[in-house]
Amino acid sequence: MGAKRKKEDAPEMAEDADIDDGGCRDRRNRQKVEKKEEFRPSMIKNKEKRSAAHAKLKHQKKLEKRKTKKAREAADKQALELGEEPPQRSVPRTIENTREADETVCKPDDAELFVANDADEFSSILRRERAPKILITTCRFHSTRGPAFISELLTVIPNAHYYKRGTYDLKKIVEYATKEDFTTLIVVHTSRREPDALLVTSLPSGPTAHFKLSKLVLRKEIKNHGNPTGHVPELVLNNFTTRLGHRVGRMIQSLFPQNPDFRGRRVVTFHNQRDYIFFRHHRYIFETKESKQQDPKSKKGKDAEDKSTGQQVIARLQECGPRFVLKLKSLQHGTFDTRGGEYEWVHKPEMDTSRRRFFL
Amino acid sequence: MPRTTTVECPGCPPLRALTFDALGLIKVTESRGNSGGIPQVVERWGDADSSKCVLAASIDDRANDPILAVARKNGTIEISNPLSGDIFVSISDFGDGDGHPEDDDIAGLHIFKKSRSVGSCSLLTCTTKGNASLRSVDIAPTESTNNGASNSWKVCAAGKVLCAKVHGSEKHALFGGKGVEVNLWDLESSTKIWAAKPPPKNSLDIFTPTWFTSATFLTGNDHRKFVAGTNSHQVRVYDTSAQRRPVISFDFRETPIKSVAEDHDGYTIYVGNGSGDLASIDTRTGKLLGCFLGKCSGSIRSIARHPDHPVIASCGLDSYLRLWDVKTRELLSATFLKQHLTCVVFDSNFSDKEVVAPDAQNADEIPGEVEQEALKLVKRKKFPEEMKGKKKKSKDDRSKKSKKKCCQMESKECDDS
Repeated sequence: MGAKRKKEDAPEMAEDADIDDGGCRDRRNRQKVEKKEEFRPSMIKNKEKRSAAHAKLKHQKKLEKRKTKKAREAADKQALELGEEPPQRSVPRTIENTREADETVCKPDDAELFVANDADEFSSILRRERAPKILITTCRFHSTRGPAFISELLTVIPNAHYYKRGTYDLKKIVEYATKEDFTTLIVVHTSRREPDALLVTSLPSGPTAHFKLSKLVLRKEIKNHGNPTGHVPELVLNNFTTRLGHRVGRMIQSLFPQNPDFRGRRVVTFHNQRDYIFFRHHRYIFETKESKQQDPKSKKGKDAEDKSTGQQVIARLQECGPRFVLKLKSLQHGTFDTRGGEYEWVHKPEMDTSRRRFFL
Repeated sequence: MPRTTTVECPGCPPLRALTFDALGLIKVTESRGNSGGIPQVVERWGDADSSKCVLAASIDDRANDPILAVARKNGTIEISNPLSGDIFVSISDFGDGDGHPEDDDIAGLHIFKKSRSVGSCSLLTCTTKGNASLRSVDIAPTESTNNGASNSWKVCAAGKVLCAKVHGSEKHALFGGKGVEVNLWDLESSTKIWAAKPPPKNSLDIFTPTWFTSATFLTGNDHRKFVAGTNSHQVRVYDTSAQRRPVISFDFRETPIKSVAEDHDGYTIYVGNGSGDLASIDTRTGKLLGCFLGKCSGSIRSIARHPDHPVIASCGLDSYLRLWDVKTRELLSATFLKQHLTCVVFDSNFSDKEVVAPDAQNADEIPGEVEQEALKLVKRKKFPEEMKGKKKKSKDDRSKKSKKKCCQMESKECDDS
């Protein structure tokens, strides 16, 4: 207690000393308010006292949270009993909610964006003028899980072919692939015997995206996994909002054929959240099931009866195929070229100034 | 509270920059207000079409009758008014008689400022196959053949020319490229007066092929000194009066040097490379003075130095136009322009302050000015009311601007323009 009091006094004394002419009341009041807001347990130098103060603060917060939760539940229950709407829940603050306003976000009415889309390298595939044909290869080193990963990739992406790397130069591989009418080249890069990075190059002259691959889970490691069929999958691309994200999204879209087979009930998802792209591969099925409604009192009469015996359609998912996370490290303007490469976007540490700023 | 750090960008002095992008659009960005103006895009000219990608641009921004020349990917060169965007003349089928083959893009373009006369201008263009041509073009609105006298020659036998620059005195030009050593040509006699020699093989006997990606002269006074940047991230300073090998050569980071610009003092250069690093280097010592840190994540395609203010502009593939302070290397502002930008030029005859100039002076100025086509008056609406009375607003603006520009410079005398 003594320590706390000293800390509270000290800033006040310092500020009093700073006042030259007899300060106005506003200043005094403001200081007092500032003083209250300033206090944090981290200002106490003594470790024992500081940890005690911190624990006390946390306990207080926990009690307050429990209290508000109880109050909210009571209010909800009361509202339901009375037959009214339960009071509105406030929206929790998340990092995605408080993301920094980004001027590069694509707007829906941007004519320049549409022209740029028509003019970019993927438009011919996305307009179905060319069918995607993927060439997958690895880096020169062997890896333990690499071949398994590649065989799974071959089942996920239709019309994909695997060729062994040998000792060919990537530039030669690009030439060869362009000649054989491939549309994209994927190189699975290995580090420490684990697939580590994915290099996706659009051919013939397209941009090269370098992704960092992590959290790879193979099909056999997933419990109750399903086996994918050969139908063309549906593609779900979530949250690629900025111009860069849009470009990367189109690049991923150009890997898959543009005619999904809905009867195959197969979906591949690339979900972007905070610049990490989560890859999932599911089979889904729509089922109707008996719904058990517990509040028929809200609407009396026929409606209630319908609901209580009503059917609800739900979708069940079965995961199949690999699961991994990608993070874009750089986007090069031409094909892969370490020395002469010109970058459209490269991640630099100086760009990470804010925890609320994302690029994709 | 959310942990965000926002650095407030200080504004820029009043300036006007024109950027050219990969879809052929020309965007005009202006910053108003003497201290702390935030640049905004005021105009956008052109139709978005990827075949009209701008490859090179040059501006002659004199006070009266400024022109802007733009070279596009489909082989056309357009000469237009940088204040309004109206195209005076568009030359297509650029080539020497046998037409213009598909893969012969224009690598460099320059408007000659000293020998400009009313109604015509001369241009130097160079294509990647090495066909350089000096031609004079009529820009009068009346019907006339586009090509006046033209003089063309071949700069290189093999290889691809990637950079071409004309010296300030407009008597010499240099060309360099992939497989093309830097050459210095005398424009009056169309002869090559100097060619560089590659540096000696390094200790491992590794031979790097010549590949110059950018070049510029160091000062407007001396045509003998210039700087070239290579694909293997080397910046080389050449002095034709000394030797054929580079005088100083230094490495800068790891990606090709995509653009080089010189400063007015004659020894500082600004280099921008393929991964977005912009730095200023002292060529006398070869020392890196400092990097411009501003989260530039895309290759810098073009750097322009403002003739008056200590400001440089850089634009590139990350679609941002960034303005930097030269002395402090601070980012003054970054404007998002949505497309891959290829070139940027400054229009130095710009002032947003309204001059309280007596009307009598303006009346004297009008007869002396060149007759122009009707100009867009949209951008003028920001200017206050004293301009409303005049019909030929634009000419007055420019005359006032040139006067105002004199007055704005602190230490210079304001002579009659």
